[in-house]
Amino acid sequence: MLDIARPFSDFTRYADADTERQVTRFLYAEARTLDREAYEEWLDRFIDKDIRYWMPDMETRRRDDRRGAFCYGEAAYFDDSWDELHVRVKRYNEPSAWADNPATRHAHLISNIEVFETDDPQLVAVCSAFTNVRNRNETDQDIIHGRREDVLRRHGDGFKLSRRRIFIVQNVLLSKNLNTFL
Amino acid sequence: MCEHDQCTSHAGQKPDMRPVYPKAGSYPHFAKLVDTQKAQVDRKVFHDQEIYEAELRQIFGRAWLFLAHESQIPEPGDFLRTYMGEDNVIVVRQRDRSVNAFLNSCPHRGNRVCMVDAGKKARGFICNYHGWSFGIDGGLRGTDGKVYDSDATFDKGSIGLTPVAQIASYKGLIFATFDPDAPSLEEFLGDFTWYLDVMLDNDEGGTEFIGGAIKSVIDCNWKFPAENFVGDILHAFWTHQSGAQAILGGGVDLGARYDELAFQASVYGHGIETNLDKVGNTRTLGYPELVDYVFSRQKAMADRLGEVRARMVGAVSSATVFPNFSFLPGQATFRVWHPRGPDKIELVVWTLVNKNMPEHIKELYRKGVMMTFSPAGVFEMDDGENWEYSTRVNQGFVTRQQPLHYALGVGTRDDSRDLPGIIHKGSLNDANQRLFYTRWAEFMRFDNWHDLQNGETAPPQRMAQRQAAE
Repeated sequence: MLDIARPFSDFTRYADADTERQVTRFLYAEARTLDREAYEEWLDRFIDKDIRYWMPDMETRRRDDRRGAFCYGEAAYFDDSWDELHVRVKRYNEPSAWADNPATRHAHLISNIEVFETDDPQLVAVCSAFTNVRNRNETDQDIIHGRREDVLRRHGDGFKLSRRRIFIVQNVLLSKNLNTFL
Repeated sequence: MCEHDQCTSHAGQKPDMRPVYPKAGSYPHFAKLVDTQKAQVDRKVFHDQEIYEAELRQIFGRAWLFLAHESQIPEPGDFLRTYMGEDNVIVVRQRDRSVNAFLNSCPHRGNRVCMVDAGKKARGFICNYHGWSFGIDGGLRGTDGKVYDSDATFDKGSIGLTPVAQIASYKGLIFATFDPDAPSLEEFLGDFTWYLDVMLDNDEGGTEFIGGAIKSVIDCNWKFPAENFVGDILHAFWTHQSGAQAILGGGVDLGARYDELAFQASVYGHGIETNLDKVGNTRTLGYPELVDYVFSRQKAMADRLGEVRARMVGAVSSATVFPNFSFLPGQATFRVWHPRGPDKIELVVWTLVNKNMPEHIKELYRKGVMMTFSPAGVFEMDDGENWEYSTRVNQGFVTRQQPLHYALGVGTRDDSRDLPGIIHKGSLNDANQRLFYTRWAEFMRFDNWHDLQNGETAPPQRMAQRQAAE
């Protein structure tokens, strides 16, 4: 469940409607926080201290290639702990982070949300899809689509993100950088 | 196209399917766009489509280009797909354990025969169009159906994937050229191998790439990132102030002995700038354990490479092998800037480690490169926009008539140090960029390798020998 290298597979028990609504609100609030580049707040409110935040590079492989499109421990865009995410956030906080000054205009669109119960009552498994739009300067625009597999942990009345696996649909990242979180 | 009687005389003969390797020309009017006297580079070289086409012919059609690390394809049939310029090639380990590379294009209708990034133990490659199949040696093995069996002109043995003209390795790095007349890889690299060894030979066990590669697209001319790595540490202080602050809590530090130690070296347009500060680049990866590791190896590395190069392994430093293969010592990132027209590149990034490194050290290098020189990395994130706008502004007709300043460090040539190549004092210098563009101009001007290997960018000993002979 908390092994970042293991894919979601056979979750069959949907969470109840209240949990699903709570999780949906969590993900939308997280997206809105990222849209306004409130990265410190994102870490504090949404990210659990034991976070593993992983986004592998997506290789094009034959269907019969057992390695598949990605492999934990190889090249990745992110494979971060909380402290490592925080290093990236510290860069955003600098006025000389030129790729973000002037500010990038963000839209994190989240959809296809499915919430499942797990064997651990403290944890829920969440699948979602995203469209990420970044626009800068005059006409610079980057759009990334992908899917996420999240594990959320209950904290009091709410949740925090404990695991996130991010799979984009691009092989070559069709952008000059990735100045956001997905 | 041809006389009718000649056509009929060809009837029934086998088509000539031998590989064609392009011949170079000479473009002196493009070469003049680099003015070494005035230390200026004409902005047309970042914009003009005709110049770009000449680059594909003169540079990417002739130079030795980086393909892969030996460790990526260890077993026979292991392969990966990459580019030489805009030409897609398959690099594949042969049954005798040598490596060959072929154009990824079926000789029937030209379709790609390999669509995937890489694979293990392939027996061959099959074109999806008409089912022509090729062995890992590039030879045509068969076709779909039997229609060719009764065709007397069909000579299977004379048809195959076009191999590169020459392929060779230097200490684990595989390069190839489309030019049968090109000198050997080691001659092409010249004395720059002395600097490559800093990364490739600081340990007896040799090196390997960590699996996978990060690929991205930047809308810039390929020469901007290549010149950035060949000698532009100057930008680090301003461009990367935010990344340095995030990781180090302060600015980039060139070390207390900068005036005494820092230099740029250039050989045939290949160049490195370094500060001999031991761990400045490694420190920026953000893991103190890596810094301790590099320090712990200083003596072993000095025994192997000498004191100077042992100081280079982790130092604030950057390098480019002409034309488009770059790396950062200390940060262990190796990358190719594939050209995609005058205003676009595809960047491919790998992490190089010593095979003998402990696994947790390799893992920290993997993570360190991801944190720094990767699309979401705190340093690389701020590079792309600079190169994109340095390129894009030249769409302005008047803008691109304006001079660019490449004159930092004119007059800093230093022949007093016992180091290979053309040496300039101080790493904060445009010297290597000037020599990179001088090399570019040599490739534009010269149609033969004798001139290419004996021009202004040749190492000083070579020039001395030539002058003595004359």
